[in-house]
Amino acid sequence: MHKKTLSDWSLDFCIYLVLLLCGLATLLPLANILSKAVSDESSVVSGKVGIFPVGFQLETMKYVVSSSQFLHSIGISLLITVVGTVLAILVTAITAYPLSKRHLPGISFIMLLFIFTMMFNGGIIPNYLLMKQLHLINSLWSLMLPALISVFNMLVIKSYYESLPEALEESAKMDGARNFTILFRIILPLSVPVIATIALFYAVYFWNDYFHPMLYINDAGLKPLQLYLRDIVLNADSSNALNKSTDDLMNTSPEGVRSATVIASIIPMLLVYPYLQKHFVKGVLIGSVKG
Amino acid sequence: MSVTLTELERKKAHAKPKTRGSGRWKLILTNYDLYLLLVPGLLVLFLFKYAPMYGIIIAFQDFNIFDGFAGSKWVGLDQFEKLVHSEEFYQVFVNTLLISVYKIVLLFPIPIIIALFLNEVRKAFFKKTIQTIIFLPHFLSWVIISGLFINILSPSGGLVNNMIQWFGGTPISFFLDNQFFRSVVVFTAGWKESGWNAIIFIAAIAGIEQEQYEAASIDGAGRIRQMLHITLPGILPTIILILILRMGYLLEAGTEQILTMYNSVVYQSGDVIGTFVYRQGLGQQDYSFSTAVGLFNSLVGFILIVAGNELSKKLIKRSIW
Repeated sequence: MHKKTLSDWSLDFCIYLVLLLCGLATLLPLANILSKAVSDESSVVSGKVGIFPVGFQLETMKYVVSSSQFLHSIGISLLITVVGTVLAILVTAITAYPLSKRHLPGISFIMLLFIFTMMFNGGIIPNYLLMKQLHLINSLWSLMLPALISVFNMLVIKSYYESLPEALEESAKMDGARNFTILFRIILPLSVPVIATIALFYAVYFWNDYFHPMLYINDAGLKPLQLYLRDIVLNADSSNALNKSTDDLMNTSPEGVRSATVIASIIPMLLVYPYLQKHFVKGVLIGSVKG
Repeated sequence: MSVTLTELERKKAHAKPKTRGSGRWKLILTNYDLYLLLVPGLLVLFLFKYAPMYGIIIAFQDFNIFDGFAGSKWVGLDQFEKLVHSEEFYQVFVNTLLISVYKIVLLFPIPIIIALFLNEVRKAFFKKTIQTIIFLPHFLSWVIISGLFINILSPSGGLVNNMIQWFGGTPISFFLDNQFFRSVVVFTAGWKESGWNAIIFIAAIAGIEQEQYEAASIDGAGRIRQMLHITLPGILPTIILILILRMGYLLEAGTEQILTMYNSVVYQSGDVIGTFVYRQGLGQQDYSFSTAVGLFNSLVGFILIVAGNELSKKLIKRSIW
């Protein structure tokens, strides 16, 4: 290693500065909305709130978090996310296994069937009509069933299976193990990092999906969190409803309530994110280096 | 001699497992449980991916929901003729291409630069912190991000307009102005995904052999030279692959994103094929026309992706499938 020269110092300075700015640019909007959520009404309305709160209060947050509709939609989202992710991981991890055995007759063709759907699909309207025919409109299954297998996720798991040493399976076969046993006792336990990553991807998908609920769910009692958020945060006419419902709260503004709702719905993600982060970085590295 | 022959044959059997006739059936029968494992996946595939493709036939009909697929009138290519002559569709098509091309030209290099720079950082704590922060927006939904930026770009008390006013300018309604709406779409997409998209390049850099850097450093190459002559060429195949993939999705300019951001005032600049299909189909109940637009979209997308894959096979000997 050679000694640090002046050009090294200036290079380091530039790199650290650029990355620091990237980090700040990411945090700034979040800091702004957090401040609005915990600042008092007059400061929010007069536009005084920047990155730091002005006139700190937690009333708005308390109001939002205890709202029964908010809690209900969080419950719906949790249900979809947990059930959807568990089922999706099961189906995806199981399907990927036979597809990693390219030498079996017919497997290449079945593989092609899966890959074709990555490039071509029926589109919004035919999908909507199908849901209607299956009587899945206003059913939470309409949000889960079609998403149980993402071909991209399946390919990542498949390429991970292929990277496992073949000798493992051969020795298990010598001991008389059948394919089922090999998959559940040997392959799956060895695939925990990649499966955890893919589970995270599915969970994020189910948690964040607003598009399909918007298409398939009209029943107010079945609205997941993102749809509830959309009503509150994006629909201009919702501000009237907000005004009415917040009459009893002297210290809140519609803007404050909106900000607090956004913050309250980010919190569950923020709580799990740090634990998941090390997993997905590792998992993505494994998946992409291979794939 | 005979020993080597049997050895050869055994090797052949291993290397070329595509057995014919009875051997093929034996392979299927002894592995029937593997085929059973495919059942749930194939069920989902046929029911929710292939069955809707049957619904595409309504693009060739004047579909009426009460008459169904069988009862609706066949109109041949009428819907497509309507599409070609529709000025609204022309505008939507141009919007789609513009937003998509802006996104590629302006946003594609950012993750590469982030990955290159992160690779130069030796302080593990700083590196980890920055990564944690810039990956985060990827995990937030478009509804939340739209809410965030509607707030920040608001003409009454939004952070950005406060700054504009502080410098003596007049506030801008970013979400209601056809001049600015596309910029908002491109910028917010960059904010959400730039950090996350760097991860694939970070992975590619991790795959470069360390000896190359040692050799270069002995030859007296500085860090900028190493970055430009080792790291960058090292991840070039990945860059090309991702770029080609991105080109394949040229007509997907961000439907889910724009649906949370736009309103009738900015249809002129922000309506893209996906949002147009949604509006015409489910808003106006014009199922057939909207399916025709969707089919056009899928077909062009399909051609782009297949062409991209062939290109990638030729250029870098790597393909997506």
